[in-house]
Amino acid sequence: MEELDKSCEYLSGVCPVWCPGCGYYGILSALVEAFADLKLPTKELTLVSGIGCSSRLPYFVKAYGFHSIHGRGLPIAQGVKTANPELTVLAVGGDGDGLAIGGGHLPHVARNNVDITYLLFNNAIYGMTKGQFSPTTTLYPVTKTSPFGLAGEAINPSALAIVYGATFVARGFSVKKEHLKELIIQGIHHRGFSFIEVLASCSSFNTTDMNVARIVKNLEMIPEDHNPEDAIEALRLAADQEKIRLGVFVRNQRPTLGDKFQEMRRKAKGKGAGNMEALLGQFA
Amino acid sequence: MQSDLVLRVAGESGEGVITIGETLCKIAAREGIHIVTFRTFPAEIKGGSCMIQVRLSERRIPYHGEGVDFLVCLNQDAVDENLPDLKEHGVLLCEAECDLPEKNPGWTAYKAPFDRIATREIGSRISKNIVVLGALSHLLSLPKETIEKFISEKFARKGKTVLDHNLDALQRGFDFARSHLAKKDSYRLPKGSGRKRLLMTGNEAIAIGATAAGMRYFFGYPITPASEIMEWLAAHLPKMGGVVLQTEDEISAICSVAGASWAGGKSMTSTSGPGLSLMSETIGLLSMAEIPAVIVDSQRGGPSTGMPTKTEQSDLLLALYGSHGDATRVVMAPTSVSDSLRVTALAFAVAEKYQLPVIMLVDQALSARLETVDRETVERLPQGSRSCASPADGAPFVRYQLGASAVSPAALPGTRGGEHMVTGMEHDERGNFACDEETHTAMTVKRFRKLAAIESDPLVAEFCTRLGDENSEVGIVTWGSSAGPVEEALAIAKGLGISAQAIIPRILNPLPHQELKTFFGKVKRVIVPELNFVGQLATLLRSTYRIPTIGLTKVKGVPLAPSEIVEKIVEAESTLNARSTRAYGRAG
Repeated sequence: MEELDKSCEYLSGVCPVWCPGCGYYGILSALVEAFADLKLPTKELTLVSGIGCSSRLPYFVKAYGFHSIHGRGLPIAQGVKTANPELTVLAVGGDGDGLAIGGGHLPHVARNNVDITYLLFNNAIYGMTKGQFSPTTTLYPVTKTSPFGLAGEAINPSALAIVYGATFVARGFSVKKEHLKELIIQGIHHRGFSFIEVLASCSSFNTTDMNVARIVKNLEMIPEDHNPEDAIEALRLAADQEKIRLGVFVRNQRPTLGDKFQEMRRKAKGKGAGNMEALLGQFA
Repeated sequence: MQSDLVLRVAGESGEGVITIGETLCKIAAREGIHIVTFRTFPAEIKGGSCMIQVRLSERRIPYHGEGVDFLVCLNQDAVDENLPDLKEHGVLLCEAECDLPEKNPGWTAYKAPFDRIATREIGSRISKNIVVLGALSHLLSLPKETIEKFISEKFARKGKTVLDHNLDALQRGFDFARSHLAKKDSYRLPKGSGRKRLLMTGNEAIAIGATAAGMRYFFGYPITPASEIMEWLAAHLPKMGGVVLQTEDEISAICSVAGASWAGGKSMTSTSGPGLSLMSETIGLLSMAEIPAVIVDSQRGGPSTGMPTKTEQSDLLLALYGSHGDATRVVMAPTSVSDSLRVTALAFAVAEKYQLPVIMLVDQALSARLETVDRETVERLPQGSRSCASPADGAPFVRYQLGASAVSPAALPGTRGGEHMVTGMEHDERGNFACDEETHTAMTVKRFRKLAAIESDPLVAEFCTRLGDENSEVGIVTWGSSAGPVEEALAIAKGLGISAQAIIPRILNPLPHQELKTFFGKVKRVIVPELNFVGQLATLLRSTYRIPTIGLTKVKGVPLAPSEIVEKIVEAESTLNARSTRAYGRAG
């Protein structure tokens, strides 16, 4: 009971706009419990999002929140972390937000290794606009904008993140809340870009792709002996067509964007003093 | 002796044409001479014709000069392309093998085998431009020691062999000119005050102005003709503890700026028209969420890819209106390199103080031109900062308070008790989304009240200037770098006995209504010179003040010439006497 109270302190009091039965409630719950476990001060907690059902999440959390525009949560989060590295920065968004309109940002935030945690809520549908296919729609091909079936193949978000060089890649499931909470804690602890794909069912517009019974039947935890520094094996697991693997695919260390900036500052200072007088010297 | 010299060096890109011009500028700036330049860039990466025009003067000058006094041509193409711009009694210095037209209106022509001296005598073809400099130092009485010192500085780190080659080239060029080119003209370097001036391009001035204003977070995407802003900052901002990140596109750049600025850092991006088009949606977000940001657009020929290396002022309407909805933003436009320093600092002051995006428009010609700047300009830049709250414990923070002031104090992430939402959605005072009738109206009014407050802020008072005869009935309104040729044109017209006056606002949104209304109350003709096809400022003035305007537009990829403006002034003046007219200024 005490646990629950602590996590409630991270709720803003704004009532979620999600439909009854939406998988996102589970994610919100896992998220605030993770914050409570980590005892994160709310003043340093920053949630950035794009547009879509999942992107509404920052309103419901007591934190600094930035609900922005469609697809742009990641570069905004990159800017926030750059200007204030002390903040714990999370980006949240959906499969359409992150892989369709905003799909061009993921490879770059991953390769920059920005020290943020990105939760990609994958429900394989556009929910906020009421039922159009998304880049991850597979088993539910007939949607409002694909009455005669889908034109393209589905994207596998975790596999993409691995290929893009994210230094932490994991997959969770909204129904397995404890497991998801642990992934979020690990993601926040990880120094670098943490990508967490969270499978969650849309109760209104696509109950097929992320059907809870289907996922429960097909899921398999990543074996404990998996080496998270082995990206090829991680990709094999993430891309598995037979089983839906949950857990940490990749975890490795390399300098973050913030580290690189520090290095650049150090090198630049070796090239000249940091004051206006010195900078103007070159124009004299 | 003349107080003013317009010198042009023309040749093929890669021949060191620009180095000749820039070296002359460096030397002259150290002598305290005023300089304004203009240079063209070939569209090709390598090769293609290019030129740099340098105007040197004892007094402050607003324009790079119309008509060339002293033309230096490194090949036949350069002669063919540039000779028509040489003044009747001008001087031509060219490669020995060049053919000149038989008809000579009065030029003095000097020929020198620059190529042969460089390849045969020195054994280094690339030192040709330094041979030219040597010849120029004789013909224009340049201080040779200063050139030697400058060359030593420039080539010292390339090793002794390279340095010796260049010093040899300078001497041989000088010697050739002294023994073979008897001085037949009277042109020489104007006298300097001896007070050293800084010499920089418009892009460098913007980068310095931003750095001096405390900007420490720059995100950008390479684009001609704005890239040099990012390049300079990449080399120098980290020395000041700042960062520069080249992002994957302009959308990422402006969004990263939005994030960094929300977190409290003074942030900026720079781009050209195509990039500003991409940034439009985020400009609306910055407006809605009330986040400061400075966006520099160095305009080039458009639309679409247009003419990347040519100048134009055709993004005004995009800057004013780009982005959907009633999106507030401030639009500024400096007129010169020196002005770019001040207006960049003003852009940050206004963006931070009023928590909104500021778009600053320059153009290719201004971005690329070298100009002398007084050091004091850097020491007297406008200042402004963001108002931040000290939230009370317990009560939820009210980010967008509706009250007496349109500006509500922010709480930067990390501030205890300041947790709140910012959003691109319409929102209530706490930042939570709200779509009710009252809130949308009240918040829209709040955002627009900021523009009204800016208009009357003493901070911006000095950023609208009047030129010419205040009693004249012929008026000119112009913006950005077209102010230079306008100032020059007023002086020429005055010399012809025709009076005219001009008003040049640096802030184009919100317009300085009081100043403009007073101006329109006095003049009976309004000429609006600008570098675009439809007359974008004229459109704005007509719709805002309901006045007729006389358009003077040009889309040739080069700046307006003062003579083109003088022609319009003469034309407008002649219609004044034709029939009685009433003054403008009734409307608005």
